[in-house]
Amino acid sequence: MSKCVWLLAAVALWGRDAWGQDARQIIEESQRRHRSASQQYEGVLEVYDAKGGRNEKRWQYARTGSYGQSKSVLRFVAPPLVKGVALLVHNHPDRASDQWMWTPELNRDRRIALQDRSTRFFGTDFSFEDLEERDAEQSDYRLLGEQVVDGQACYQVEAVPRKTRASQYTKTVIWVRKDILLPVQFEMYVKTELVKRMVHRRVEQVQGVWSTLELEMNDLKKKTRTVLKTEKLKYNVTLPEERFTLQALRRGE
Amino acid sequence: MILLRLISWQYVRKHLLRSLLTIAGIVLGVAVFVGMHTANQSVLTAFTNTVDRIAGATQLQITAGEAGFEEEILERVQGVPEVRVAVPVIEAVATPETRAKGNLLILAVDMTGDRSLREYALEDGDDSFIEDPLVFLAQPDSIMITREFAAENGLKANDALTLRSMDGPKRFVVRGIMKSSGLTSAFGGNLAIMDVYAAQKVFGRGRRFDRIDLAVQEGLRPEEVGKRLEQLLGAGYQVESPSSRGKQFESLSSVYGMLANITSLFALFIGMFIIYNSFAIAVTQRRSEIGILRALGATRGQIQVLFLAESAVGGLVGAGLGAGLGVLIARGMAGSLGNLLGEIYGVAQKAEEVSSDPRLLAGAVGLGLITSLVAAWIPARNAARVDPVQALQKGKFQLLTAGENRARRVLAFVFLALVALTLVYGEGRLIFYAGYFLSIFAGVLMVPTLGLWLAKGLRPLLKAVRPVEGALAADSLIQSPRRTSGAVAALALSVSLILALGGMTQAAYASIEEWLRIALNPDMYLSPSQNLTDRSFRFPAAFAEEVVKLPGVRRTQLVRTVRVPVDGEPVMLVSLEVASIRKEVRLPVVSGDGDRMYGEAAAGRGVIVSDNFALQHRRKAGEMLRLNTPAGPLDLPILGTVVDYSDQKGSILLDRAVYEKYWKDDSVNVVRMYLEPGVTVAQMRDRVAAQMGDRYKYFVFTNEDLRSYILKITDQWFGLTYIQIAVAVLVSILGIVNTLTVSITDRRRELGVLQAVGGLRMQIRGTIWLEALAIGAIGLVLGWVFGAVALYYALETSARDLSGMRLEYTYPFRMALALIPVILGSSFLSALGPAETAVRGSLVEALEYE
Repeated sequence: MSKCVWLLAAVALWGRDAWGQDARQIIEESQRRHRSASQQYEGVLEVYDAKGGRNEKRWQYARTGSYGQSKSVLRFVAPPLVKGVALLVHNHPDRASDQWMWTPELNRDRRIALQDRSTRFFGTDFSFEDLEERDAEQSDYRLLGEQVVDGQACYQVEAVPRKTRASQYTKTVIWVRKDILLPVQFEMYVKTELVKRMVHRRVEQVQGVWSTLELEMNDLKKKTRTVLKTEKLKYNVTLPEERFTLQALRRGE
Repeated sequence: MILLRLISWQYVRKHLLRSLLTIAGIVLGVAVFVGMHTANQSVLTAFTNTVDRIAGATQLQITAGEAGFEEEILERVQGVPEVRVAVPVIEAVATPETRAKGNLLILAVDMTGDRSLREYALEDGDDSFIEDPLVFLAQPDSIMITREFAAENGLKANDALTLRSMDGPKRFVVRGIMKSSGLTSAFGGNLAIMDVYAAQKVFGRGRRFDRIDLAVQEGLRPEEVGKRLEQLLGAGYQVESPSSRGKQFESLSSVYGMLANITSLFALFIGMFIIYNSFAIAVTQRRSEIGILRALGATRGQIQVLFLAESAVGGLVGAGLGAGLGVLIARGMAGSLGNLLGEIYGVAQKAEEVSSDPRLLAGAVGLGLITSLVAAWIPARNAARVDPVQALQKGKFQLLTAGENRARRVLAFVFLALVALTLVYGEGRLIFYAGYFLSIFAGVLMVPTLGLWLAKGLRPLLKAVRPVEGALAADSLIQSPRRTSGAVAALALSVSLILALGGMTQAAYASIEEWLRIALNPDMYLSPSQNLTDRSFRFPAAFAEEVVKLPGVRRTQLVRTVRVPVDGEPVMLVSLEVASIRKEVRLPVVSGDGDRMYGEAAAGRGVIVSDNFALQHRRKAGEMLRLNTPAGPLDLPILGTVVDYSDQKGSILLDRAVYEKYWKDDSVNVVRMYLEPGVTVAQMRDRVAAQMGDRYKYFVFTNEDLRSYILKITDQWFGLTYIQIAVAVLVSILGIVNTLTVSITDRRRELGVLQAVGGLRMQIRGTIWLEALAIGAIGLVLGWVFGAVALYYALETSARDLSGMRLEYTYPFRMALALIPVILGSSFLSALGPAETAVRGSLVEALEYE
């Protein structure tokens, strides 16, 4: 679900026509446009293995705050064996996020260590790092050119994480639609090898904000893919700050 | 080489049985050496392999002895920039209720990050679908097993697997089956992976981990990062490479290795006498052959080399056979040895395959060769001195032993004087063992003289039993003490070894039983594990609190035992409520003031150490002992030493409050329970069951159960001693058979003459039987005497270098008497074959002989 959180938030911000040619400006404007005080949705996660086998999970997602300072909770609601498992993410503008996982059957939380962020998020093709929001300040950008993706003209931007921002990826190439400044494709590299590709499939306006309602992450090495579908997406809902604490996580809120 | 083929080989072919008997001692000695060491090495290798395979890419491991540490340590370690990845681990052994026997080694890890260190190759190649990682983490009953274990037990994904856990028998679900890989071959494939946080609950660990496995950032040296971590965490934490765990286990099993050495060296030593005896006889028999060779121009040197070469070939053949036999023995022993070491030390291992180290085999063969050469040295020298003129005169015998006995006696007395000096000034290890060996040499040198005296003493008795046969048998021994002295020495040494080992076992038993009577006097015990030395399972403090409140309980004592490193070796730390213990138990004090030491220890102002710890670690009462705890170094005075056999490597008794404070661990291994008068163990068992229900898994041991359990382990340990005794008896029997075989051959003419002048076959048989019985009796009597000395040295060796147990010297009279039928019976049986050979041979050939 990689940049899904970021992307889903970003989707809401990208709205205007093309914004100049400076790569950083494109990203900053994109984030500015998609900024919202809060967000919530219900997600359907479909994981396909290399043989085409399918596994489905459902979750509820809620976020408060925006880029770099947001807090989010992701709680699985189905299937029954994973119901109640939750992930709390506290993002920070200047460093990697803090993440905790709650397992109700064990009645305890565990901290996801920074070192573990590159590992797969519970068998999906997303990593824990992919769940983090990224502030534009955490990477350096370079405009590579323009390309047509899925019939839409796009800016092609290269993002290289700064040294202060540890990442499993050496660089990410982002395609941003020129008309609505919405990222529609990401390619992640480790050193020079392309390891993952994320493509946004369904883009619609929700509460006047362009939003991705379906995206697909492909692990190009394992030849597996994960599809995330977003339902009941809402922006700027009232979400109490206490809901984004470890105590609330333990209470199952 | 030509001489070997033309002369020696013909002789060996002609006396094949005797040749085989000659090298039998070498075969046995080398077999025991190779067998016991190979078994030990295989168990050790299995342990090291399991550690290596489980370690994966782990470069360093952080532990705090066996006690584990709190979770917060993990975050501190993960926060160190030089650390690339650090993951928590709990390791435990559980018993699965499956059709295949054997324990399961549980490696509990945090699966979110552990794959950075270990590769879990799953069946079907995809861990994201068939075996769902989220379900694996979400459900505490998730377990991942190896393909081998699954196949052995007919398990497949999503099948149930029941393990005995803290919460009673617990049903797990197989949510992953690992493909065969380095990891899955650990612990012989009986490996299972589960979530570390689920394991905390299942194994009663609270919020603690057993250890942290970590890898350092690329380009950094693990040793340097290890030092940095040691500085950060303090001396209570050990930061070591995974391989150092193997060294710790090696240190635990070192006692066994030493026992293996003693047994095999003793077998070889006795074997040496058998070879000496055979060669001495062979030289006498082959003097005409030697005479011819000398007459044909062979030099003395060539004759000596010929005999030494024969010996070397025999030694090599014997050692080769012994090495092969040893590997077979090891295959039989490795499994039971693994279980034994596991029971005694609570360390899990499982020997998967038995393979001998080529260096060990080469060493064993070399040992056999040297033994054979040393044994043949004097006979070869005597062969070289044979006078060709005398040798070629038919019927002329050359006396080779003239004047030797006096020299031997003088040398023996010199040795005895030196032994006396070592006893007076024998504090040092080197002097002590020098005295030990000198005493053996002195005894061996005295054998011909003492044997002769005893043979003379026996003559009237033998004559009274059977006038003709008895007199002939006694005269045979008196006239050729040299012929029998090797066998007598071998027999005496074997008997002395049996008495020393038996005496030591008897003394150890008596001491352990006395300790059990004093130390283990509660009415009953509650343990979280069926195996009391297994510390995988622990009770949480809450369990103990509930037990304390049960009606009918007069007193409870909570005990937590962990191994902690002292002087680089793992030592058992026994934390208990000293104030409560002192009211019920007074361990025999070796040094220090009993009242004061218990009082001070109860106040947390010092430790009491076991006498075997003090001996093995050269510590005395009054000295300071540093314990490196997770909370930092803890310096406490040794208040006194007591007799305590909680652990072979010694124990340190510490008040529980101090332990809880410094190790931040309030779990419990054993609850000792004293009941109110009138309350029976059965009643209390029911009360505990009613109170605890199914919430906890526990085992109830009565006082008798526990004593039996400890005595069973003691028995298993002394089983090794019984192997030594069996080897000693076997070698001594070989010695007698060998002696009689060569004796018959040597006296073939004499026996032929007897038959020619009217001696009946039965009389010849009777003569040989009585001679064998006389050899047995002389060896037995000398063995009794030697055994008295050997027992002293065995007890001292045990105290100094084996178990540290200071045992009381009590001569094992009953065992000495029990040996009479064993040795005389063996002697008689040994004589049956040679006697038949003597009476059934051709009279003409016999009279032609010589």
